Order: sequence, then C-alpha cells, then structure tokens
Amino acid sequence: MNHWTEIDFEHWLYGLKEQDPHLNECPDCRQEMERLVRERQGITAQPQVSHEFLAAQRRAIYRRLEERPHSRVAMRWVLSAAMLLVMLFGFTIQRWRHPGQSISDEQLFSDLAAMDQRAEPAAIQPIHGLFQQ
Amino acid sequence: MGVMADRLAAGVGTLADTREFGLWMASEQKRIFLLCRRMLDDSEDADSATQDAFLKAWQALKRPEFNDIVDPHKWVTRIAINTCLDRLRSRRWQFWRKRPNPIEETAILQLEPSGAPDASDQLFAKQISVRLDGALKKLSLKQRAAFTLRHYEDRSLAEIAEILGLNVGTVKVHLFRATEKLREELHDLYFREGRK
Repeated sequence: MNHWTEIDFEHWLYGLKEQDPHLNECPDCRQEMERLVRERQGITAQPQVSHEFLAAQRRAIYRRLEERPHSRVAMRWVLSAAMLLVMLFGFTIQRWRHPGQSISDEQLFSDLAAMDQRAEPAAIQPIHGLFQQ
Repeated sequence: MGVMADRLAAGVGTLADTREFGLWMASEQKRIFLLCRRMLDDSEDADSATQDAFLKAWQALKRPEFNDIVDPHKWVTRIAINTCLDRLRSRRWQFWRKRPNPIEETAILQLEPSGAPDASDQLFAKQISVRLDGALKKLSLKQRAAFTLRHYEDRSLAEIAEILGLNVGTVKVHLFRATEKLREELHDLYFREGRK
C-alpha cells in the first residue's frame, strides 16, 4: 500500500480524510501522524491574554449589562436628531448671510407691463431667426 | 465546561442571575475573546465583539420565551461566531477603518503559546501565527469560521456544522477549500525541512 502523502495528512488533520488501516500497518506513517499531532498541539496552544485586559473587559460587560436595553438605540436617535438640527441651523445661517437678490416692486411692474405690450412672447424670437434669409 | 455552564445546561434557571452569569462568563471569556481575535484579526474589534456576544447571551437568557440550553459552551460559541461574521460583513464597507495598533495588540496578547517548551518553538509559533492570521483573510467568511473552529478549537465537523447552522457536507466543502487556499501556509506549519 502507498504511503500517505502530505496532502493526505493535511486532510486527515482537518477532518477531511478518514483514518485508514494503512496508518496501523505502516510505522513510518504512524510516526509522521503522531509528529503532526504534537506539532499541531504546539501551534494551536492558546496564547496568554493579560489578566488586566480580561478584568477590564468583564467590567465593561457588567457596565453594559446594567444599561437600559434600549438606551443605545435611543442614543442613536438623539444623535441623529442633533445632527439634523445642526444641518438646519447651518442652512438657516447660510440663507440669512446670503439672501437671494430681490427686485423692487417698481421694476417688477415695469417688466410685467413690457411683457404685456409685446405682440408675442420673447421666447419665440429664436424661431423667427430660422425663417430669415 | 464550568460550574455555571453545567447549571445552565441543567436548566436550573439561575442564568438570569448576574452573579451566576458572571462566573460562567469568566470561565468562557478568554476562549471567546481568542476565537473573536482569530476571526477578526484585531484585538480591539475582538474585545468589542466579545462584549457583544456576552451581552447577546444575557439578553437571550432574559427573554421569557427562552428555552433551556443544551450545550452553553457551543451556544455561546455560535453567538460569538455570528457576531464576528456580522462584523466582517460590515467591515467591507468601512474603508476608513484604522489598522490594529501592534503595540496595543502586544499589550493584550502574548502570541507565544503558554506551553511552548523553548524559545525557537515560541518564535516559530509566533511567526506562523502572524502568517496564518494574514492568510485567513484570503478565505470567505464561512471558510474562515469553519477553519478557525477546526484548527484552533479542534472541533469535529458535526460540531462546526451545528455552530454555523450548516450541514456536515457543506462544512467539509468549506474546509476543503480553506485548506486548498492555505496550502502554502499549512505546508510550512507542519512539514518544515529538517524539523523533527
């Protein structure tokens, strides 16, 4: 029977290959398998995490447990409303500092009278141009 | 499984007790944090995900319609994995996200495994861990979750399937593709030249 390849061992390590009788019959492959298991234990051993960090994390979790369940959602709404108010305020200030150009009543009446006296609307003038030789 | 977890599993009903919950949380906290850290590759994000996971567990336990937990260990793992997957999905849009600070990472986590016998083994484990963390980013979210649970937590395919809510066949496909993509990294991990 053929020896297991590296891919066979890799698949076996990750549960993708069943252990076949060859491993029991072949001392070389069995030894390699045992080496890989040891290697894996060394590599995947849990790293150390600082106790201070874990304690701080627990305190943060307790703090959050004591919060009202919806306070975070409510806070998001409050922030959104505040943002909207700031935008509205900015828009109002902008309008106040740069008011639109207004025309006097006199000017308005004069323009209206001029339009009224024309035989046809000013917008039609370009069309006349098309028929002129 | 800790004392609290046993009591939870027995359905004693003291889950909603803050002190009991605290004891159980302390017994699972490091494992869940490291799982999140491996999934997210960022200690700060993992810290926040761990907090979220325990908070979700607490809120679930508080619900009147909540049923008994068969296996609290697996249950909290599922919550943590789902929290990490949600974060990884939303991370795709967060182009402004800052990179993890290596100094802070070192302060929280000593990457060398506590049981490593000598300095060269510790150095190797550290190097390979950094490389593997980088390589995990190449995997899809489900592949990453399946591989992390198998590689670091040594879970069976059936357990991974239960945690991820998939069938065993799908988990096998995810793991197969993950190992294919990580072949170079894994080869280095196990089949080093001249290393006995």
